[in-house]
Amino acid sequence: MTQKLWLRKLKLIYSKDVFDIIQFGSSVIEESKPNDIDIVVIFNKIPLKEQLNQAQEIKKQLQKYSELPVHITSFDLYSFFDKGNFSKENILFYGRSLISGNYFSKKLGFDSKIQIYYSLKDLEKKDKVRFNYMLNGKKGEYGLLRKYGGKLLKPGLIEIYPEFEDIFVSSIKKITTNFQVKKILF
Amino acid sequence: MNEEKNIKEQILEKTAREYFYSAEDDFKKERYNSAVVLYFKTLIALVDLYTFQNTGNTPSSHTERFRICQINFPDVYNILDKDFPFYQNSYIQIMTKELAEVMKNDTEIMAEKTKVNL
Repeated sequence: MTQKLWLRKLKLIYSKDVFDIIQFGSSVIEESKPNDIDIVVIFNKIPLKEQLNQAQEIKKQLQKYSELPVHITSFDLYSFFDKGNFSKENILFYGRSLISGNYFSKKLGFDSKIQIYYSLKDLEKKDKVRFNYMLNGKKGEYGLLRKYGGKLLKPGLIEIYPEFEDIFVSSIKKITTNFQVKKILF
Repeated sequence: MNEEKNIKEQILEKTAREYFYSAEDDFKKERYNSAVVLYFKTLIALVDLYTFQNTGNTPSSHTERFRICQINFPDVYNILDKDFPFYQNSYIQIMTKELAEVMKNDTEIMAEKTKVNL
């Protein structure tokens, strides 16, 4: 059973108070082995008690679609952006809407991407070649960029989708430590 | 057996009241994180009392408590399941007055179920 709930046609029942229902955390990261499914329900401004009760009803529905335990949290649009909400960045950056199927950031008018700056300057020639094969492929095999929809923006800078960050970083680390990762919302 | 029953019930009632009064004290002093934790502990004592009143047993862990309630008392399970994440996150998340009030309300629901005067 896929844990990518945003890719499934979920028949969820929820009220007009719901701004969005978002999957985030380890279960949206490619090739991860999550222990649970993290869901956040963002409401328009309604009393907290009502938010919690509605979120519980949504949780019960979602649990039917997953073998892993579903953990649900709720916010309204004001409390979501509060400085005390430590999961805000993760949700904004990696979160996938179970309503639209798209990135949650899109709903707010943003695109979320990872940019990786790297330098091959101090590498031996064979490692530069390995790095190139890793990104662009070799002998008809897809490299990471083609496989995961990334782009080479210029030499030394690639841009990828957030959920593939771990895959790229672990592959790059095998060849060089001279790289920097930036999270971009634009 | 009856004596054991009385002792267990008395202990659970006493701990529930003690946590509740401490929660009220923290609530009045606007220490909402502490209040949330203590209201939740009140809730747990009352859930255990409710379980004892209905099954003659008390759970020994959160896992068992959740399992027993999920099977036997879905309405109680719903309250526990809803409130537990706040208890877990109380050391990294700022708890609000509104949340503390919601938790207090849930302890009062359980107090009514167990017929305990808080």
